[in-house]
Amino acid sequence: MPNIAGKAFAMNLITPIERWQAAFNKIQFWAIRQPILSFSLRGLVTLSMIHYARWAIVQPTEWPRLDESQPKEKLHYAYQLFFSNFNGSWAQYVDSFSVAIPSGLNLLWFRNVGWPKAVPEQPFHRYVEHNEVWTSHYYSAYPMAASNDVKSAQRVKQALTSFASRTKDMEAAAFEQAYNELLNELQADLSQMAPTPIVSLANAAVEERMRQDAEAGDEQDSGRAPAMMGGSHAE
Amino acid sequence: MPNEAGRAYGLTALCPIKHGAEAPQPGKPARSFAARTRDLLQDLNEAAESPMACVPNTYLCRFLVLDNVAYQGDPAKLDRLRSSYLVFVADLHAGKKSEEGLRRYLEGMWEHAEPTVRSLWEHCVGFDTVSSSDAFVRYVKRCQVENTLYFNGSTDEPLAEQLKNLYLKQEFSRFAFEHQGKKGAELQAAFGQFLTRTRPHDLSGPTWKPGARTLDDAVIDPNPPPQYLRSVPTGASR
Repeated sequence: MPNIAGKAFAMNLITPIERWQAAFNKIQFWAIRQPILSFSLRGLVTLSMIHYARWAIVQPTEWPRLDESQPKEKLHYAYQLFFSNFNGSWAQYVDSFSVAIPSGLNLLWFRNVGWPKAVPEQPFHRYVEHNEVWTSHYYSAYPMAASNDVKSAQRVKQALTSFASRTKDMEAAAFEQAYNELLNELQADLSQMAPTPIVSLANAAVEERMRQDAEAGDEQDSGRAPAMMGGSHAE
Repeated sequence: MPNEAGRAYGLTALCPIKHGAEAPQPGKPARSFAARTRDLLQDLNEAAESPMACVPNTYLCRFLVLDNVAYQGDPAKLDRLRSSYLVFVADLHAGKKSEEGLRRYLEGMWEHAEPTVRSLWEHCVGFDTVSSSDAFVRYVKRCQVENTLYFNGSTDEPLAEQLKNLYLKQEFSRFAFEHQGKKGAELQAAFGQFLTRTRPHDLSGPTWKPGARTLDDAVIDPNPPPQYLRSVPTGASR
């Protein structure tokens, strides 16, 4: 499934807004970005499963036109593009948004055409499904890590390097005590990461093909005819 | 600037795809340029490793072909895009000077993944003239749309730092589990060996490989210590 890269899920949502409304919403987004109003993003921060997310509002004249041969876009609406990277399933993400920051969502999609409001959930789900666009290729530098792993790993590294320099010349008994304090400090950050059961269906297919190729190679090496070759490899 | 959050940068590029189709090949139907671009993207999913794993400082990225926008039903007006677009969305580490960081990132993309870049953008309007990293940077910037809001729910460190952190988290979690109940001198000696093996300040390795999907192939170390210093296997998998 190309929307998934290990623990990360890629969501793409493209929704229309009246052009004059889009101009107003851009001002609203600008206001949200100002430090004095940064509290309005606090709800997003509580959704700790998000790696990175962005909104972009594109007016009809702002679609890139690189050449005279390319027809000019003639659109009635401006479009809001939303791209998010998060951990968990589609339903978990959409429901979390709806439950945790309904007013924030209503602000971020303020008067988008057809926006049903974040609550109740069912119309909101339908709106997202209707306007979602599929990803064709998705890459994560750390498919085995959730956003919380990346954040906790930063804390582990900082605490570990500080501990190492602090305890360099300590007596054994004092070291043991400091070590136990370190574990106490990091207890919420220590965990072993692992692949999700199926990183992605495409990846599972690749692994299956490699397994079949390896088996076929073993059989050829032993002088027997291969039983069945993985079809996709030969294409 | 709305394209960045700290030292993280959100690149959003809409690259128009030419109208028309590739000439039909014997035994294969003609494919529109947009469909062919989508085929190429889907082929990337069949490879053991994404070509974007070679591009420095890519946290996450995605490609898709946008053929059209959704109609919201009566009484909304019907919109139809007049071109398809190759959409490239990347979350990357750009550093404090973000626009300079974006330029470096795109140059790195050209340097480390040029064949992929050339094939994916081959059918895009105006890409015919792109034959160098400078030209590629200019091209993507012409296709870039500005974000209205970029949210960083993760960290904004260089990717090498993030990967080293993840490696250390994994290794230290295992160390803590395996050394439960050990005392004083024994614990201290084991921790010393742990530091020697994991080299926390050395970003070149041992560390996690970008894009690694399994623990068996996650750890890389281009400069492994001598064998006598490696009292514990460097593999992360247990």
